[in-house]
Amino acid sequence: MSATAAINEQLLRENITRAINDVFSTMLGREPTFMGCTNILPDDGMSPPASGPASGNTTFVVGTVGFVGDINGLIYLYLDETLARHSTCHLLGMNEAELEQAGDEVINDAIGEITNMTVGSFKSGLCDAGYMCKLTIPSILRGSNFRIEPTTATTRYLYHYESAGHKVTADILIQTDE
Amino acid sequence: MIFNTTVMRYKVLTVDDSRTVRIIVRKAFKSYDCEILEAGNGVEGLAIAAKDSPDLILLDVTMPVMDGVEMLTKIKSDPQLKGIPVIMLTAEGGRDNVLKIAKIGVRDYLVKPFKEETLIEKAGRVIDLKPLSDQPTKAKSIFDPADILAVEDKPAIIQQIQEGLKHMPWKIHGVSTQGEALDYCTKTPPDLVLMSLSLPEESAFNLFRIMRTNIKTKYTPIFALAVKTETGQQQQAQTVGFSALITKPIDLGELEAKMCKSMNLDTSRRYFSIEPGFLMMRLPENCSPAVLAEVANYLKPKFSEAVDAGHTRMIIDIHELKTLHMGVIKLLFQAMQTCRELTLQFALVGNAQIVSECKGFEDTRNWLFCDSIDEAKSTLGKLGAAVPQMASA
Repeated sequence: MSATAAINEQLLRENITRAINDVFSTMLGREPTFMGCTNILPDDGMSPPASGPASGNTTFVVGTVGFVGDINGLIYLYLDETLARHSTCHLLGMNEAELEQAGDEVINDAIGEITNMTVGSFKSGLCDAGYMCKLTIPSILRGSNFRIEPTTATTRYLYHYESAGHKVTADILIQTDE
Repeated sequence: MIFNTTVMRYKVLTVDDSRTVRIIVRKAFKSYDCEILEAGNGVEGLAIAAKDSPDLILLDVTMPVMDGVEMLTKIKSDPQLKGIPVIMLTAEGGRDNVLKIAKIGVRDYLVKPFKEETLIEKAGRVIDLKPLSDQPTKAKSIFDPADILAVEDKPAIIQQIQEGLKHMPWKIHGVSTQGEALDYCTKTPPDLVLMSLSLPEESAFNLFRIMRTNIKTKYTPIFALAVKTETGQQQQAQTVGFSALITKPIDLGELEAKMCKSMNLDTSRRYFSIEPGFLMMRLPENCSPAVLAEVANYLKPKFSEAVDAGHTRMIIDIHELKTLHMGVIKLLFQAMQTCRELTLQFALVGNAQIVSECKGFEDTRNWLFCDSIDEAKSTLGKLGAAVPQMASA
């Protein structure tokens, strides 16, 4: 199926919101609230580039997992560092002191797994809707004041959520037929 | 003979490329008596499975080097490994993926994200998971609270049980259907379940089976309540393994005694207490054979405990006793003998009826009684260090 033309924003929104709620409530004991969606238009070379979720001084831990098949794309899941640390502690049954001793690698692993589960759940929804695809392995980005720019034509949406004062953003990039 | 219990521990092998998932698995099982083995891919997993023969394998589907499906295929073709039950873990819960997994011979599957309780519940259906006790737990006594679930569709019976056991510090929660019972057990695993066999459509037996497969209620005592004449039901209850059978009309004394026994409650405080300066042993109004056996079991340990704590005096109070019979006499002889062995001074407190009945037996006619606890205390206070002869047998 040449899906990219047919897939619509509602399907993406419903699936990513269900996946985030499912993973965050089951694994992290959190109930994120959907706050809105931003459609990032392709760079036309004229307008200034849109600022991303990690544009300030706050450090972010960003998990990314791709999906390949009838539909190709990537999801970046942005968590601010504080939320990433709290989430890791909850997930692994650690306290802050233990986490400090364990180091950032443990946080990266945990957020990578949270992203993997989220994109796995999102992908299952796409497969059930007829868009067969497979997941790629997760990876992690870390830092502040950075922006991710695709090099090929994409349809791109940012889905914003809030959980107990922390912002969570899912950045979905779908490759479009050129 | 000393048994090494550690060799009996179940081994669970978790094969997952995510260290995070392996930690979550370890965390989920940490309250259970089992050993967790870890592998990061199918090749490592096969090597550990061959070396350690785990009792259960939790296998991720998507992994580098060798994925879960390939590892499972190799397990199933190896005569030594093919009997090991496998639960697959997958992040991809789509219909096609789940169907594919179900077809390749796994015992069960779990879609990520998963709750730790769900993992334990599924593993508990495959291996006999036992909760781990880090240290010897303090024995619960009859004065401790307990949650009792009564599954009975006749409100009058629930009311009778609640009324009849209201002197106990137990919370008796009544429900009338299988669904309500399972909901309650999920939220509050009870200490004991009373289940009527007359629930519609044999649902009591179905509920019993479900509870026995659930890790939270696997070891919970479950009593069957059956009408005295329903012998067929009673036999069936015994066959399937109900912990005890209580017939209707319910003898509440018998029910309470069986519940205490099943919950392994320390009932000694009904009969023994440490008062300022002495140990008190009290017999109730009616001393049934069950009561006598219970008291006899506590005699030596309670007397020794008192002596160990520095007590040298005790009062045996039988003033509530209605009538004397051979069982009581034998128990009192045993108590007096134990006192002598431990050089405990003792005094007897009785009532007119008992004193009179004692005169009628050759062995008890010389027993001396005090009329009250205060008199017994005063008598013991006047005595020296020597063991008194006031109640010699």
